[in-house]
Amino acid sequence: MSEHIVHLIELYLDEELEGEERQRFEEHVAQCAECRVRLEREQRFMALLAHARPLYTVPEGVRRHIEQLWARPSGSRMRVFAWALGVVAVVLAVFVFRAYVYDSVRRSWADPGNRRSEFALLAVDTHQRWVRGQLPLEILSQSPEEISAWFADKVPFNLKLPSFRELPGQPKPYQLEGARLVGFKNDYAAYITYRMRNRPISLLVTSETVARPSGGEEIRSQGLVFHFEEINGWKVLSWSDRGLTYALVSDFEERGQASCMVCHPSASEQHKLEGLRR
Amino acid sequence: MIRRWRAQNHAEREFERQALEYLEGLYNFAMALTRDRTEAEDLVQETYLRAFRGAAQRLPTGDVKAWLFTIMRNIWINDQRRKRRQQDTEELDVKEEDEGMRGRPLADERHRPDVMHEQRSLGQEIRHAIESLPAVYREVIVLRFLEGFSYSQIAAIIGCPAGTVMSRISRARAELRKRLNHHVVGTVNVPKEEGHTASKRIRGAGEAYE
Ligand SMILES: [Zn+2]
Repeated sequence: MSEHIVHLIELYLDEELEGEERQRFEEHVAQCAECRVRLEREQRFMALLAHARPLYTVPEGVRRHIEQLWARPSGSRMRVFAWALGVVAVVLAVFVFRAYVYDSVRRSWADPGNRRSEFALLAVDTHQRWVRGQLPLEILSQSPEEISAWFADKVPFNLKLPSFRELPGQPKPYQLEGARLVGFKNDYAAYITYRMRNRPISLLVTSETVARPSGGEEIRSQGLVFHFEEINGWKVLSWSDRGLTYALVSDFEERGQASCMVCHPSASEQHKLEGLRR
Repeated sequence: MIRRWRAQNHAEREFERQALEYLEGLYNFAMALTRDRTEAEDLVQETYLRAFRGAAQRLPTGDVKAWLFTIMRNIWINDQRRKRRQQDTEELDVKEEDEGMRGRPLADERHRPDVMHEQRSLGQEIRHAIESLPAVYREVIVLRFLEGFSYSQIAAIIGCPAGTVMSRISRARAELRKRLNHHVVGTVNVPKEEGHTASKRIRGAGEAYE
């Protein structure tokens, strides 16, 4: 009688034994009572585990939330499609009737004035690459002063990151993580990353003379004009203030104004922040 | 153009249907990893968010199930790394296989009188046994025994050689067997055909143990 092959029992039951090996195992078990007993015991043990499946049940709210997740981006794809068809129709009509205006049509196509701005697209692209781990940060720091100082001789504008004033009972809702330079229009823009409840948020900043916020839905708040749009499933909020243009990218579910709460929660608006945190 | 868009839309619906089929398995995996409801819920939502976002750009080819589990595990590992960076005093049981059975202590509710009676449920007991293992074993147990992934699929999901998977599964199994032994030992001689009787006996053994 060959030696006991106890070490193969698990592999056999996990269907990891093949061909000759499997055959030899089965032959051995057929004529060895001891291995057979062990095999049956292990089988019973596995049945026991399988019997307990599922160990946990999915809360109904989680299921609903996830079903909605998919519905949302696919809806936006539909809108983009309808919009693209509309644009194609308009371009064709113009092209047929007034061929000579083609040039100006092409210009307006590229004009970010009423659609997505190049700056917002860059913000999303940069954010995406950072989230995927393809874009390392050049400075890691939680100090706004330190990051502002790092940018001082690197970008052609004066960047001063705000410090969050922590009020009693109102802890800092986000955490500064780091920053890097990003190429934009023959110069650099400042790219700054944050985390809010472990979710990534980032801010792209450049001079107002280089990029103006445009496109999307306009929201007026606190004397500023914000542009809110969704690009590739990311929420982008862009605005200009005191000579600088900003684009904030996040994956928060809320639209427009609620995104502002990320950086500007005030006591009276705390409830909105709660909504943002889900 | 429209036909292509329709085909794409159909493929997306099919992907969505498939992806949602694995929700229960993913939630169970998330619970095994985090051992915390809130964290598990966040982890599941984040996984689907990333999966859907990724699929909106390019639908995954091949094994959607393994792809989803891989995404979830990567998110969890990154979270663990970040937490470790933030508070490196706390010991985490992500990587060190040879650290033996010293897992992060589980908030143990077994000894609370109000939950003692629930202990009789077999599922509950198995759950506790799995939760008491370190993360490296919890994950292979769930992937292999509850989700039915093969060794090579598990190797791909957790990103380590098949040999490592094999030895981890073997050790995980041994540890789990130790914790649940009383359910198995007493029934060795029950013939396979009497599945129903066998499960009754299993329960009997559990009660005797308590
Ligand atoms: Zn034998």
